Amino acid sequence: MLMRKAPYGSVYPAEGFRAMMGVAVFELQLCVIFLDDGVYTLVKGQNPAALDMKPLGDGFPTLPDIGIKEFYAHDRSLAERGLAPEDLVLPARVVSGSEIEGILAGCTSVLPF
Amino acid sequence: MKIGIMVLEGPYQHQAADSAWHFARAALARGHQIVGIFLFADGVNNANRFVNPPGERNLAQRYEELAAQGVPIVACTACAKFRGLKPDLKMEHLQLSGLGALAEYLRQAERFVTFGD
Repeated sequence: MLMRKAPYGSVYPAEGFRAMMGVAVFELQLCVIFLDDGVYTLVKGQNPAALDMKPLGDGFPTLPDIGIKEFYAHDRSLAERGLAPEDLVLPARVVSGSEIEGILAGCTSVLPF
Repeated sequence: MKIGIMVLEGPYQHQAADSAWHFARAALARGHQIVGIFLFADGVNNANRFVNPPGERNLAQRYEELAAQGVPIVACTACAKFRGLKPDLKMEHLQLSGLGALAEYLRQAERFVTFGD
């Protein structure tokens, strides 16, 4: 599962989150990679109340409970946005672009959101 | 080869729904099997039987024809609710179902292709 987009402004990250939960309960093994503006979906302390929306980041720490345990965040995407691993709602493994290539090569399917 | 497809966009605003349909047709013409097309997010609007573009290709009709040929096409029930796409508004051969259908297509497909922004 590729999370590429900012948490608000479009429905994709919210639908990506829903797809993760929906697919994981059918016991497909999933890993989630956050890159580009997608790293913002993991930032702690999101408060989109002014947008009349719910904070997306709050849901991610619950995913290990349904069997999703592999989370990766792109190192350059974090750095370009001034983010550090401790800014994130879960302990994603920070990986390079070439490491992401390797992870994707090992996946049967890739779902981009 | 067994191919699964997900469509994230509705008709006309973006190219994705057109591209997915052309891809599916081309794959079938080459003897591949489409295990299913999952219409997700705005993609569910391709299932609306009242789509009626004057003088233009009818994408909902195109998906309906694929489904009538036996290609499983499912529109996400929750996304349909968000968009007011009631069951009686959908094309006859397209189904409304949950993310279990997506999981099943992912399980069956040797290749899975997403069309969206």
